[in-house]
Amino acid sequence: MSALLELDNVTMRFGGVVALKEAKITINSGEIFALIGPNGAGKTTVFNVVTGVYAPTEGEVRFDGERIDGLKRFKVTKSGIARTFQNIRLFHNMSALENVMVGADAHHKTGAIGATLGLPWHRKEEKRGRELARELLDFVGISGRMDETAKNLPYGDQRRLEIARALATDPKLLLLDEPAAGMNPAEKVALQELIRKIRDDGRTVLLIEHDMSLVMHISDRVAVLDFGQLIAEGLPHEVQNNQKVIEAYLGVAEDAS
Amino acid sequence: MKGEGVAKGNAGLRALHPITRMRDWWADAPQWQRYTVYIALIVIALILPAPWIGSFMSPYSDWTNVLVYPIGTYILLAVGLNIVVGHAGMLDLGFVAFFAIGGYTLAYFGTKHGWTFWGTLVMGIVLAAVSGVILGAPTLRLRGDYLAIVTLGFGEIVRITANNTDEIGGARGITNIPHPSPILGMEFLLDAAPYYYLILGAIILVIIFSVRLTKSRVGRAWAAIREDEDAAELMGVPTFKFKLLAFAIGAMIGGLGGGIYASKAVFIQPETFPFILSATILAAVVLGGAGNLPGVILGAFVIGWLPERFRFLAEYRILAFGAVLVLMMAVRPEGLLPSRQRKAELHEGTGGMGTMGAEVPGPDSDSTAEVSQ
Repeated sequence: MSALLELDNVTMRFGGVVALKEAKITINSGEIFALIGPNGAGKTTVFNVVTGVYAPTEGEVRFDGERIDGLKRFKVTKSGIARTFQNIRLFHNMSALENVMVGADAHHKTGAIGATLGLPWHRKEEKRGRELARELLDFVGISGRMDETAKNLPYGDQRRLEIARALATDPKLLLLDEPAAGMNPAEKVALQELIRKIRDDGRTVLLIEHDMSLVMHISDRVAVLDFGQLIAEGLPHEVQNNQKVIEAYLGVAEDAS
Repeated sequence: MKGEGVAKGNAGLRALHPITRMRDWWADAPQWQRYTVYIALIVIALILPAPWIGSFMSPYSDWTNVLVYPIGTYILLAVGLNIVVGHAGMLDLGFVAFFAIGGYTLAYFGTKHGWTFWGTLVMGIVLAAVSGVILGAPTLRLRGDYLAIVTLGFGEIVRITANNTDEIGGARGITNIPHPSPILGMEFLLDAAPYYYLILGAIILVIIFSVRLTKSRVGRAWAAIREDEDAAELMGVPTFKFKLLAFAIGAMIGGLGGGIYASKAVFIQPETFPFILSATILAAVVLGGAGNLPGVILGAFVIGWLPERFRFLAEYRILAFGAVLVLMMAVRPEGLLPSRQRKAELHEGTGGMGTMGAEVPGPDSDSTAEVSQ
């Protein structure tokens, strides 16, 4: 397995607050990697550093062997990283199909002139974008709601739409920020299936999730963050039994030996 | 454009609302019906200067003149500003600057260098676009109110610079701007009709341009930026480039309007391009329904036409005009013919400013989106 994403001693400071301290994370291609930790541990900060929302204060982020820290956000996306958001950030008043088409446009080149004159490559791109969007909506299981306005979709479907929109940018690495939040048990099972399907399509998945049963079921490896520091990393059952992790989640027992 | 009279329909009867019904019919209309409507609209536009229409629409001034300026010019400018404000969601309070740049380019090269109308018109469009890029490049990182203030300043800078530059006539302005050379047997002299057809042609071109853009990747990118700029960029939209593009295209249309206006007016001066004109065009866009082209055109028509119709009120006509504007905005805050998408955004708490924090639901926002976790 080769390293797809490497965080090399990444530190992220906001004034006096250290959101992430010398984090070293390596994600191999083809795995489902989960990032867990208590609230405020710095998980979303990792996503923001990787996707170019923040430039890390120190350290390097490498993707596919190339440095991506400091790159513009849309360039990070073009290089093959896409994400969803903890608090859903769809284009609420656009249709589901249009939302996904925006993602598909990431690799399109038509500018104002091509669009105005209706040049052949523009039509080809529009057609491709629409077809890809339809396929992806089908893939995530909401093809019946293609023309509905995003904000009118049920909550679980909005999460699925966000995944479809991210997949439309054809990422090698997909970052999912609490995809199961607010889902009922049946939806969570379907989500598990979906994440596996995405991996089986040859993509790598990095996941932030609070639902431990979901994490333990689908992750190949798990890393635990606490107060911006990586306190454990390994196979799911190893992490589950790690003393530091238990302390981070439950607090330190008075008579801990 | 019928239907605005019954605009006060209540939300519970949405399905029966005539505008909604008309829109649904339009959405499903086959190609030939659409083209029939397009042709009918063009025919109406062509016969619009007829005296019998004028005697009702504008009994106090020459109707064809009114159709060229303010109505036609306002429509042209409003279609341009609509791209910036309605589609890309950037508030531009200095749009008149591009109108001025187009006008002055035509006046300067036409009088001092003897260029032809068409050459200078193209030059004016190019210069307006360039100035749009020059203004936009350093400022488009700003959002919302801040951008509005910068553009407001730009509008003033252009006017004051013109006022203080002797090369372009200073405060006296430029006179004897050449008319366009005859086309299709139409002589451009003192008769307003040829200018009306010229501006009508420009409006039709610009509408086609605008519609094609907004239905493409470019329009999707603008809509995405307007809704959530951060999310758009993270989905691979080069937001800065597309904002700059919107700004430049809006500027080009402004420059086109300025060129046509200057050749018709024969005389321009800095005071031809006051801030109030920027505000008026913005009012036309907002009043008509930002983001929805038919609405914007209707808005510009109403804003250009009402003060002429109220001429019998003499000095009170602007007062009456203002009262009508206030009334219309009170009754239909989203505009006469709003775009569905924009209307929904206006009724939400956060609008399109792209907050990084949690979504704050507005009074009308859909409750299904706010499932607490």
